[in-house]
Amino acid sequence: MTSPGSGKHWRPYQMVASTPLSLHRVHHLHRRAGFGANWSELQRDMEAGPDATVDRILGVAELVKSFDVDDSNAEPKVLTTSATDFDSLQQLIGDAAVSSGDINRLKAWWFYRILYSGDPLTERMTLMWHNHFATSNLKVANVAMMKRQNDLLRRHAMGKFGDLLRAVVKDAAMMAWLDAKANRKGKPNENLARELMELFTLGVGHYSETDVKEVARALTGWTVRGGDFEQVAAYHDDGTKQVLGEQGDFDGDDVLAILLKQKPLARRIAVRLCEAFFGEDVITDDALGELASGLRERDLDIGWAVETILRSEAFFADDNIGNRVLDPIQFMVGPLRSLEMLDPPPSTLLLVEWSTKLGQDLFYPPNVFGWPGGRSWLTTRTMIGRANFVSTLCRGDLHRPARPLGIEALALKHGYSSEATQANFASELLFGHQGQAGNVEMMLRSTAAHLG
Amino acid sequence: MMKTNRREFLKDSSAVSLGAFPSLICRGTSAAEDPRSSHEGKILVVIQMSGGNDGINTVVPFADEGYAQYRSKLRLPTERLLKLNDSVALHPSMRAAADLIEDGRLAIVQGVGYPNPSRSHDTSMAIWHSAEIGDEDTLRFHGWLGTAMDAMQQSSQERGNSDPDMVLLGDESQPLAIQSRRSTAVTLSNLTDLRLSHPIPRSTDQAAAAPPSESGNSLDRFVAQTMRDATDTASGLEHSISEMTHLATTGGASYPSTMLGNRMQTISTLIKSGFSTPVYYAIQSGYDTHSAQLPTHSRLLREFSDAIKAFLNDLDSSELSDQVCVLGFSEFGRRVAENGSGGTDHGTAGPVFVASRQIRPGLIGSMPSLQDLSGGDLRMNVDFRSVYHEVTTNWLGVRNVSTLSPSQIPLNLFQV
Repeated sequence: MTSPGSGKHWRPYQMVASTPLSLHRVHHLHRRAGFGANWSELQRDMEAGPDATVDRILGVAELVKSFDVDDSNAEPKVLTTSATDFDSLQQLIGDAAVSSGDINRLKAWWFYRILYSGDPLTERMTLMWHNHFATSNLKVANVAMMKRQNDLLRRHAMGKFGDLLRAVVKDAAMMAWLDAKANRKGKPNENLARELMELFTLGVGHYSETDVKEVARALTGWTVRGGDFEQVAAYHDDGTKQVLGEQGDFDGDDVLAILLKQKPLARRIAVRLCEAFFGEDVITDDALGELASGLRERDLDIGWAVETILRSEAFFADDNIGNRVLDPIQFMVGPLRSLEMLDPPPSTLLLVEWSTKLGQDLFYPPNVFGWPGGRSWLTTRTMIGRANFVSTLCRGDLHRPARPLGIEALALKHGYSSEATQANFASELLFGHQGQAGNVEMMLRSTAAHLG
Repeated sequence: MMKTNRREFLKDSSAVSLGAFPSLICRGTSAAEDPRSSHEGKILVVIQMSGGNDGINTVVPFADEGYAQYRSKLRLPTERLLKLNDSVALHPSMRAAADLIEDGRLAIVQGVGYPNPSRSHDTSMAIWHSAEIGDEDTLRFHGWLGTAMDAMQQSSQERGNSDPDMVLLGDESQPLAIQSRRSTAVTLSNLTDLRLSHPIPRSTDQAAAAPPSESGNSLDRFVAQTMRDATDTASGLEHSISEMTHLATTGGASYPSTMLGNRMQTISTLIKSGFSTPVYYAIQSGYDTHSAQLPTHSRLLREFSDAIKAFLNDLDSSELSDQVCVLGFSEFGRRVAENGSGGTDHGTAGPVFVASRQIRPGLIGSMPSLQDLSGGDLRMNVDFRSVYHEVTTNWLGVRNVSTLSPSQIPLNLFQV
């Protein structure tokens, strides 16, 4: 594993007296790098310490990646029995969703993965890339294609950005979403060309309108046939193009190679990652710049950047804890995991309905920009929706048959018998610290419950 | 009578002072700083008449000899028509629409279409939705309303506004018209999406409502404020809904109990509740009348007209009607000649309805002749993009919407 960054902005976190590994920090790590943890997991990682815990989180991601990427036929020898069980079950659910043609079942499949995957970090990253390469089934209208794109995002989630980019822009769902099929010599369609530069790689201000037109010409001939990417020479404009100062008879692959060399790209990836792992006003411009140059030096290795972030002092700093608006899925899944409400399982189709109500309809990002995130998750409608979700969860109505939350029993199970210690237990379990008042329903409707 | 009832309602509602009623339900203090939510901003409500409305039997050219010639079974008896002048009249079931024209609240733009019309529902609807003319394969990704909202997004973001730019009322998936590059559109099935299933206990409520402590950072304050606003909206809506129910049962703002009526009532409730959303969208389906058209068409036009009138009257009583404009359109009109099944097939141009207190009322443009057809279809007189252009610039106040050609002849839809 590549060693994490050692620049002045990304010093590794050290367990010293001034910054002890409190429950608060372990709780924080699980919320940001995953979807929350239960009491036993929190206790286990308190003992293990931050290095070992981050090792474990990244190690699982590495394991899954290695058996996922290298050879799809390979036996997943390194995985535990429960992980292989998980994998065969999720495959079953995913395949059934595809053959049903019902996108809600595909959303439920993803919820299943988020709830039960032993590698929550990769699910978090997949969600992040779904937002970056925002593709909506509203236009694609094909469950199989949406699943394939999702699997692709997961496979490359922690790898080299170049591999991810090359795979995504030739993905059938993406091609349909951005009208790449209609891009022909002499009648170029600029949709993919523009978003490729504006959203996927460089960002506004780092290319010109001429670049958009020229890239669109270079991309002519890329199309989808029978659900697969195909390059049709007859549709391709093989004339000379001028892209970002370079000149040649470029095709799409040439353009990707040019884009992957551009300096602003690394910064854009760094910004994305910092959005995912940090709250408001934590990462300075200098720190972003340092992460971006680290990415450039390492061939845009996403896994390296994630590791650098998760091991950093900045990540564990007090001003990075509890200062980020939870997205709807985190808001929903966090309590389900913490409160051990996963066995028997909640209805994933109901979770799908709720996430839509709360503004995060998987596979239907609102537009090419994805979900704006942050404060925009919280609106009048979604605040009311969140309060109602909490009621539904506490009354057990996410489960069929209904299975009301038994916080006393859970507290007892973990050795807290008096009423006062039970309240503290709930507060620590849900927030990583004591002091949240009221019953669980009130706690989950409080201001703090929306931040993490 | 209605006013008395309102006063009675207000008397019962201890938290409310009479003068503050229209803004009673406004959320919190931040909402008051928002020009749109304090109702200075204009609101557009679009009703999509899906399926291709038979414009000829809606705004009837009864004096045109072609009408009797092409419509033997479907010809509406002249004596029952609601005459607008000596050649054009409304369908008899559009009494409410005729009333709106009479008191200056409805304009009908005649013969609206686009060049080389497509008779495909999908293609033609996509053209109306996107304001881009082309064939089926033409890229259409953003809608005309989405584009208009994108053009005004800057100010919306600067205000830190959290209400959606566009709301679809109904169960349908969001139409292309409200798809956008960066604006927000949500679908609300009904108001229960905005109601608390279990009230927040008083103690939590107070904790949320307490002034933020000095140590609280801006994000904590933001969350607390949003929560407070949401709680206010939820309880405000409870009041509003109970008032609505109260008035409905005593003859106040009564809506027809049709699907469109319900949707318009929900939109009105949202507007009255202080939502800063500038665009609402509702879909009325069923206009694809290939056979036995008369009864179906009559029901649809009544539902359409009654819902608009009830909506405008309702907003009138809350003194909000100056801010609201309703636009009704269909993807095409129908063939001039009726078919053999007592119905009509897909045609071209048709009427567009624009209802508002600020409208230049009555008929706008001229009815296409039924004796000068193009392949059996009406020739359009007005490009629909001129209507869009006036609605976006002169009503919503959005400039430079690139997809809408400013070179169209002005219709002067709105009174200056």
